[in-house]
Amino acid sequence: MLRRVIPVLIVAALSVAACGGGSGSSSPAPPPPAGFGAADAARLLEQASFGPTSAEVTRVAALGLDGYLKEQLAAPATGYPGFVFTPHTAPADCRYDPTAPAGAASLCARDQYSLFQVQRGFFANALAAPDQLRQRVAFALSQILVVSGTEIYEAYGMAAYQNMLLNDAFGNYRQLLEDVTLSPVMGRYLDMADNDKSNPALGTSPNENYARELLQLFSIGVYRLNSDGSLMLDTGGQPIPTYGQDVIEGFAQLFTGWTYAPRPGATSAWTNPINYEGTMVSFPAHHEAGSKLLLDGFVVPAGQAPAQDLKVALDQVFNHPNVGPFVATRLIEHLVTSNPSPAYVARVAAVFADNGAGVRGDLAAVVRAILADPDARGAAPSSSAAGHLREPALYITSVLRGLGGQSDGVYLRGQAAAMGQPIFTPPTVFNFYPPGYQLPGTHTHAPEFFIADAATALARANFVNALIYGGGAPPDTTVTGSTGTTLDLTPPATAADPDALVDQLSAQLMHGSLSSAAHAAIVTAVNAVPLTDGLGRARMAAYLVATAPQFQVER
Amino acid sequence: MDRRHFLGHAGALGAGAALARLGMLSARAQVAAGDYKALVCVFLYGGNDGNNTVVPIDSAGYASYAAVRGRLALAQGTLLPLVEAGGAARFGLHPALGGSTGLQALWDSGALAIVANVGTLVQPLTKAQYLAPGSVKPQSLFSHIDQQNQWQASLSDAPSNTGWGGRLADALAGLNAAASVPAMISTTGNNLFVTGSATQALTIPTSGSFGLRGFDNSAPGLARLTALQALLGVDRGTDLLDAAQDLMSGALRSSAVLNPILAATTTPVSAYFTGLTSGIARQLLAVAKVIEARASLGARRQVFLVSLGSFDTHSNELATHDTLFAELGAALNAFHSALGGIGAGPAVTSFTLSDFARTYKPNTNGGTDHAWGNHHFVAGGAVKGRQLYGTWPTLALAGPDDEGSEGRWIPTTAVDQYAATLASWFGVDAAGLASVLPNLQAFAPATLGFV
Repeated sequence: MLRRVIPVLIVAALSVAACGGGSGSSSPAPPPPAGFGAADAARLLEQASFGPTSAEVTRVAALGLDGYLKEQLAAPATGYPGFVFTPHTAPADCRYDPTAPAGAASLCARDQYSLFQVQRGFFANALAAPDQLRQRVAFALSQILVVSGTEIYEAYGMAAYQNMLLNDAFGNYRQLLEDVTLSPVMGRYLDMADNDKSNPALGTSPNENYARELLQLFSIGVYRLNSDGSLMLDTGGQPIPTYGQDVIEGFAQLFTGWTYAPRPGATSAWTNPINYEGTMVSFPAHHEAGSKLLLDGFVVPAGQAPAQDLKVALDQVFNHPNVGPFVATRLIEHLVTSNPSPAYVARVAAVFADNGAGVRGDLAAVVRAILADPDARGAAPSSSAAGHLREPALYITSVLRGLGGQSDGVYLRGQAAAMGQPIFTPPTVFNFYPPGYQLPGTHTHAPEFFIADAATALARANFVNALIYGGGAPPDTTVTGSTGTTLDLTPPATAADPDALVDQLSAQLMHGSLSSAAHAAIVTAVNAVPLTDGLGRARMAAYLVATAPQFQVER
Repeated sequence: MDRRHFLGHAGALGAGAALARLGMLSARAQVAAGDYKALVCVFLYGGNDGNNTVVPIDSAGYASYAAVRGRLALAQGTLLPLVEAGGAARFGLHPALGGSTGLQALWDSGALAIVANVGTLVQPLTKAQYLAPGSVKPQSLFSHIDQQNQWQASLSDAPSNTGWGGRLADALAGLNAAASVPAMISTTGNNLFVTGSATQALTIPTSGSFGLRGFDNSAPGLARLTALQALLGVDRGTDLLDAAQDLMSGALRSSAVLNPILAATTTPVSAYFTGLTSGIARQLLAVAKVIEARASLGARRQVFLVSLGSFDTHSNELATHDTLFAELGAALNAFHSALGGIGAGPAVTSFTLSDFARTYKPNTNGGTDHAWGNHHFVAGGAVKGRQLYGTWPTLALAGPDDEGSEGRWIPTTAVDQYAATLASWFGVDAAGLASVLPNLQAFAPATLGFV
């Protein structure tokens, strides 16, 4: 049972600071389309951005769904600028020195040879960049086409990879697959870089790592899918594998003969030193010469050049009928719901197959289809199974954006890690959580719950406590331009009226979806704070809404 | 603003009243010291290369190994001989697993056994059967997540939503009726292994405090705690929200009991871990602390899960193994030494699981690729150690145990048998084994006798 929905646009924010995302609205706003109220706008922003701000809800309600999507799909990428090449082995003056943790060498190591600056850049962008939808989709892609700071610890390398995902987020999936395949960062992470042809003298075979994960995790998965994402079954009721070990070996042979691009001025040789700039380059003499078995019995003829083989293989993978439902399901899970209806998946997969202009793999059209779908829109979901747990990054940014916060990302990167999601550093290529994870004792898919446990649940509440009652985090004097992490907790005008205060927070943080029972529990607590203590009341209400499971599970 | 961390710090001012409000001060049963057992699963994520973990040490065996392994071959003189109960050493350990402070010492003391060529199977499988059309094989062989899940579920012909550690805890729940914390504890998050039908694992942190911060006994503080609790009990009825609410309820309950135990730094087990800072050492120390407190916690059968990652050595395997094995060997040695020191040695058995083994034939990047049957360690005071169990595979490419030509051994012992042996020791009777390990009847013998 939902309480009445408060129109956010007329409510004074909990002193919400302007928090980015306000570009492109200088001309008079058209009237909102029928049925696109503040609650739906707020819900859209939960799915399409890193959380609603009061200002954005007002703006998007006025723009309407189409206007907002059009703006966001055209917005240029806010990336990770300013990172420069560093050699794989850190020079002596750029290594952590335990005797001088804040000395120049230690800070150099932190900034160049860890993801510190990239992770805090992620939060800075997520909180304030105008291209919110692109940031959000790129973050989803970073959890599908995974590389990790466990191995890619050079900041410039991770920045390059994330910039690529941002640039490709609304492009074509075929291009994205090619860019990922030839990325030296991915090449390093999944060992396609320096993957040599088999060597009978050494008794070695091509490396199977990229071959297997490209198929299993980046494109088609291990079983044949119907167009609605469900498993195709054989006559015996068994799932149908999409490939066997022989196909993995075929792709492994095909992905031989690539190494890092040479540094400017250097002579290119097999193999070049690690270099995360540019794309990998091929050496035909190190490419497996024979024919290669690919999917469904297709054989690539012997003797083709590495790039020619690569094109054939990526074309075949991209055109496999699984890719549409596979990518549709992954993106829906990240943006909208853990348990999409088969019909929802089928509608999005159909757009992947054909964007309406005969183009397959148009990600802009796919993202639009996901967000405009009836299963995503409305002030509340039609199904009680809808929604998903806000993953740590989204939880953090949603609290800050919803409560008028600002941050340089320094504190937030550590908090995300404490909640189980060190940004861009999942433990393996299988991401922080597997897409197929189900809640124990149920068949309800709940990927984000894989990293939700007693320790991380407490970390979430303790983070909110630190923000609201602990003053956030001070600026870090070792970081240029550091602003720390703070909320603006000036008591709102509604502090004297607990009902209005809680309604306002519900509208800002959870599109007005707080139930009557939850509302009543929070109001009781607010009333325990003296009327004269407006700040105390604001804190009480904000703490309880922001820690409530009802907020953590986005519906 | 008062920012005392009352639930997270035992003895914080006024914590008692608020704790009582959470119902956390219920009487705890005391357990007879003689009736306690723990199983500790050490999952080696990524697929450990068993072929470089336990290596033939005799001249002919080593020469054959070195010829195939090439640049990945460990130097013969560095291998740590595993002198078996009969007096001879056929195999050597990877040197980084450690001599006097590692696994060799556990072996020599009789507290370590090795089970050879264990793996996921639906039914026993010869090479001829494997190659025959329509053969019954585990689903998605060589895939990380599928093989992890099958090792943890001990079911390989269909997906499972429970693991065999969880089913063990379900089966023995009656022994844990008086426990004040969940019978299953993970230091590595949610995993299928510790998921039962009725029993779920608690995840504990291995650093920092384990508690809810920011409350005091002022009227507003207590009102806030009351409301926080109330929000966990309303709006029930959808799986996702129920799960989030239950998670927090459990976290509040368990952290209040466990945080003082985990935060203690001077208890007897801690001394054995002095100087060990690796993640696996911290995890095993946390487990040891919980076992140390077994009498007050009231559980009689506990299942623990710890893990060590980065075993997916597609490249740079030698250096990676050196690092990981040094951590693993030292941590397991410290763990079992500590348990011996507090008189719990025979009550605790640890064992390894891993996604799969790795190809005997190296790849072109100084690494190995995904394979199948693997060698595993079982350690503890109850283990019938200094012995190798199971059947050692023929280490030959395209040989009788190779599913193809890269050295992927077809397992000769099933995960089910490995699990059944541990489950029997844990106290599950023959009838119970059938429910804990539903496919065990496909294999004989049911148990291997290593513990």
